[in-house]
Amino acid sequence: MRMGRLAPGFLLAMLAATVAKYCIAQVPARLPGELAWTIGYDPKTFDPAKVDDIDSETVRYLTAGVLLRFNRLTQKLEPRLAESWNLSPDGRTITFKLRGGLRFSDGAALTARDAAWSIQRVLLPAAGAPVAEEFVAPASVHVDAPNSQTVVVRLPQRVAGIGKVFDEIAIEPANRPSEGHVTSGPFYVAEYQRSQFVRLRRNPYYGERDGSGAALPRASGVLLDIVENPEERIRLFSRGESDLIDQLSSEYYEMLRQKAPGSVRDLGPSLNTEQIWFNQAPASPLPAWEEAWFRNQSFRVAVSQAIQRDDLVRLVYLGHATPAYSFISPANADWYNRRLAAPHSDLAAAQDGLRRAGFRMEGTHLLDAAGHPVKFSILTNAGNDARLKMATLIQQDLAAVGMQVNVVTLDFPALIERLMHTQDYEACLLGLENVDVDPNEMMNIWLSSSPNHQWNPAEKTPATAWEAEIDKEMNLQATSQKDAVRKQAVDRVQQIVTDEEPFIYLVYPNVLAAISPRLAGAQPAVIEPELWWNVEDLRLRRTR
Amino acid sequence: MLIGLFRSVARAFALMLLVMIGATLLVRLAPGYLSDAREMDARYGNTVRAELAQEDAQSRSLTQMLAREMGGWLRGNAGVSRQFGVPVGQLIRPRLVVTGALLLRSLLLGWALALSAALVSSTRRKSGVVWQAPSTLLLAIPTAAMATLCLLAGSGGPVMVMAMLIAARDFKFLYRILRQAWLEPHLLHARAQGIPMRRLLAVHLAPSIASQLGALAGLSMVIALSALVPVEVLLDVPGLGQLAWNAAMNRDLPVLLAVTLLMALAVTASGILSGQTGAWERA
Amino acid sequence: MRIRLLPVWLLVALALGASAIVSRPGASYARQDREHPLAGASLTHPAGADALGRDRLVRVSAALLLSLAGALAASALTTAAAAGIGAWAAFAVPGVAWLMMLVCDVFLALPWLFLLMMVRSALPLRASPAHSAVITFLVLAALGWPACARAVYRGALGLKRADWMMQARASGMRGKQLIRQVLPNLLPLLLPQFLVCVPAFVIAEANLGALGLGIGEPLPSWGGMLLELDNSALLFRTQWVYFPVVLLILVLLLLEAILVEA
Repeated sequence: MRMGRLAPGFLLAMLAATVAKYCIAQVPARLPGELAWTIGYDPKTFDPAKVDDIDSETVRYLTAGVLLRFNRLTQKLEPRLAESWNLSPDGRTITFKLRGGLRFSDGAALTARDAAWSIQRVLLPAAGAPVAEEFVAPASVHVDAPNSQTVVVRLPQRVAGIGKVFDEIAIEPANRPSEGHVTSGPFYVAEYQRSQFVRLRRNPYYGERDGSGAALPRASGVLLDIVENPEERIRLFSRGESDLIDQLSSEYYEMLRQKAPGSVRDLGPSLNTEQIWFNQAPASPLPAWEEAWFRNQSFRVAVSQAIQRDDLVRLVYLGHATPAYSFISPANADWYNRRLAAPHSDLAAAQDGLRRAGFRMEGTHLLDAAGHPVKFSILTNAGNDARLKMATLIQQDLAAVGMQVNVVTLDFPALIERLMHTQDYEACLLGLENVDVDPNEMMNIWLSSSPNHQWNPAEKTPATAWEAEIDKEMNLQATSQKDAVRKQAVDRVQQIVTDEEPFIYLVYPNVLAAISPRLAGAQPAVIEPELWWNVEDLRLRRTR
Repeated sequence: MLIGLFRSVARAFALMLLVMIGATLLVRLAPGYLSDAREMDARYGNTVRAELAQEDAQSRSLTQMLAREMGGWLRGNAGVSRQFGVPVGQLIRPRLVVTGALLLRSLLLGWALALSAALVSSTRRKSGVVWQAPSTLLLAIPTAAMATLCLLAGSGGPVMVMAMLIAARDFKFLYRILRQAWLEPHLLHARAQGIPMRRLLAVHLAPSIASQLGALAGLSMVIALSALVPVEVLLDVPGLGQLAWNAAMNRDLPVLLAVTLLMALAVTASGILSGQTGAWERA
Repeated sequence: MRIRLLPVWLLVALALGASAIVSRPGASYARQDREHPLAGASLTHPAGADALGRDRLVRVSAALLLSLAGALAASALTTAAAAGIGAWAAFAVPGVAWLMMLVCDVFLALPWLFLLMMVRSALPLRASPAHSAVITFLVLAALGWPACARAVYRGALGLKRADWMMQARASGMRGKQLIRQVLPNLLPLLLPQFLVCVPAFVIAEANLGALGLGIGEPLPSWGGMLLELDNSALLFRTQWVYFPVVLLILVLLLLEAILVEA
């Protein structure tokens, strides 16, 4: 009787288990010789000229045939579709000589006309191509194809590091853009299931060969699974359904290190920084005394000295980060200022500095000269565990000098609105991703007139003498043709930033990655795309 | 009958209208409607700012914005996604199938589980905490954690998680209804007479709880819909919940509006359905 | 009789124990013992420490008092509102009922996420964590009633047609008197609603953390601790992550036992 009554329950549970089995998110089966990894979201576009998000950029990198490729390991430009290239002494004329016998993935011949058309296309304002910005004045750039092998690009003015821009311009068949379906790169887009996967197939006409003479790319294709959830990403990797994970968090790195020791790599400090800054914008609705604290250099330096960066590294990044004092990371060997004099973590010095700047302690609270308790909020983006932890640690670090800190997390659009539009915030903790080693890429952050000059955006004239000096040095490095002069200017900017602390740098997170032992040919670098920048050489080892 | 149907339709229409107005206002007034994370990126900042300026010009006046959205819907055009630049219909259609199947399966499974568990447990004289414990357990674990545990275990899937949640809540509800129903005089009498269980259930018990089952159907639908977003996001189901979350995080009004209206439709439909079962019972 | 009161005593003991742990001299839910992140159980940290080295036992105890008080109050509010609205709709003229249920459905369908975002942006950034926690629970209570009200409405409709109700009305009972008769009969419907709301609110508060609302650092949030369960890397490093969920289940079972006996 009792069993009889329970039987339906058991049956149902069995049924549930079977149904559930069929309902687990299906991963498309991998084709022989196909590489696989995951991307976070749907690429917004497959049109290489319109790329403005990270996942579209991934597809572009894998499919686009480019004149020059920036080698992420040697950090030098290498010819691809161009056999050779030449920059005129005034830096305003670039001449590319194409290889012979180039073909698109559909077999059609690729000539200089296609290349010129593709470059012109990204320069047109109608295309709205973000890469056009890098030409500074895209409207007055002239592109010619004097013969079928030669492309000439004439710029109205010299642009620092212009060669690298061509790493981002896909050469497409003239007058028939195909959204990645016909390419001149290693792969082309073969199949796309919205919110499930993107499948790229090998371009049979890709002319490159590796050192041993084998045709490139080595893999038969790439399967990009669209997976948002990091847990799912780890699971796919552990089951061998994905070959690599980039931008691994330190917690998952540690877990994988113990489960599968051979599969994780710590490549050392990245080019990226995590920093905190105070709002110094005059347009902010903050009370006058708060603005006065934030504009006070001693206050900012004291905050920097009170923060225990070693604890951030140890507790938040589990050791996989490096304390930071400058916007250029030691991974950027050419530009990092090795003689930087930075105010290191020192509680006594912080207290001393605050006292000299007119602040005083009352009990456990810090008061400014006018008697206002020093109390402010640190904003960061919600959903980022590392930043929340850092903010919480900083909260306690600053409590040691009597500052009362409130940690507030907001979702990204709400945060950006405060940072970029209303300026209604006190301090903010965010990271900055650098995709390039050349500091010229950071012009938008350091020029006081730029809207991305976060602590005081879009200044009409530099608000302080040191900001004026940064402007001067940054402009100097952008226009100078001598490397030594550029280096000296950038070193000076690093020293000013370290002295004035408009951004209080916290850490350089390390580049952490997981690479399946089955994947051959990987040469991870610290510049994006760290793991598959040499995708042509990647292939799967034969199992067993 | 016809009047009843007309009223239901009128009600559904009023609901849609109110939801549309409410959702548009909520999204437009939410912080960050006119900002984009890419503004911070030096490479994309300028193009994004140009897009936002255009958007700003279009959505300055709330009434105009509402009129535009509603006009579009009346013409059968749900608009173009702000985030992806594709017609909303194109984004929603494939996902609707996925979510529909997920909802249907988990509702059926959840109901079956809850009903059988409640039937069995409510006839016991001494039950209480022992029977309650599993459902309490299921309710206490956040959907997100449950989904992750499923991921870790490598077994169970979205249907499982959703069905468990629905079953846990429905069980509580059903258990009480049934406990009460068994104690009603006519049932006590019938049981004392030794009428077989099957007949007892079909003839005596079912009618006395039918009206409340309607409410339960509505409630289950609401539970299922509210669990949809976390389950789909965490277990990576390419359905409407995942789309809704992305749309909310990116302030993608046209997509969000479409998903919200679909959800409202589902709630209304379940409401009408439960109302109809009540009417059927009265007839 | 004693046995029946056992759950009450257990719950009281739990609350007292939690208060004792929190108010013990030297106990702090915020102090970071940075040398012992994710420590296991020891004499100094009986239930281990979290990732920032904060004592888990103290944090769980404080969260028990804080989140549970908030969630209990919010559930009580929302269930009461649902009872009032549902019963009123059932006994009012049909037009009002129609309108009320329409409002319920609109409420259920709207993306309230954005309202919460607006609430956050209206709150000053310097609002203290406790302050924003109170507001969070109030907002949750204000938004939580419609699903429950629908169920109550259906139940009350059933009651309205019950024989004893007919008799009561026939014998001249009106308005308030009737409601007084109906409410006790709605209790079996309300209790499960109340119990379901408690964990739902605890978790909802944690999810709101993603929008900057909810209980902010360094105050411990029960929901926040529950959400740690969705991080397999953390689960891999310490088993103590399960502690809050075990305690939550215990509390819910106790509450359930109390309400069933009541």
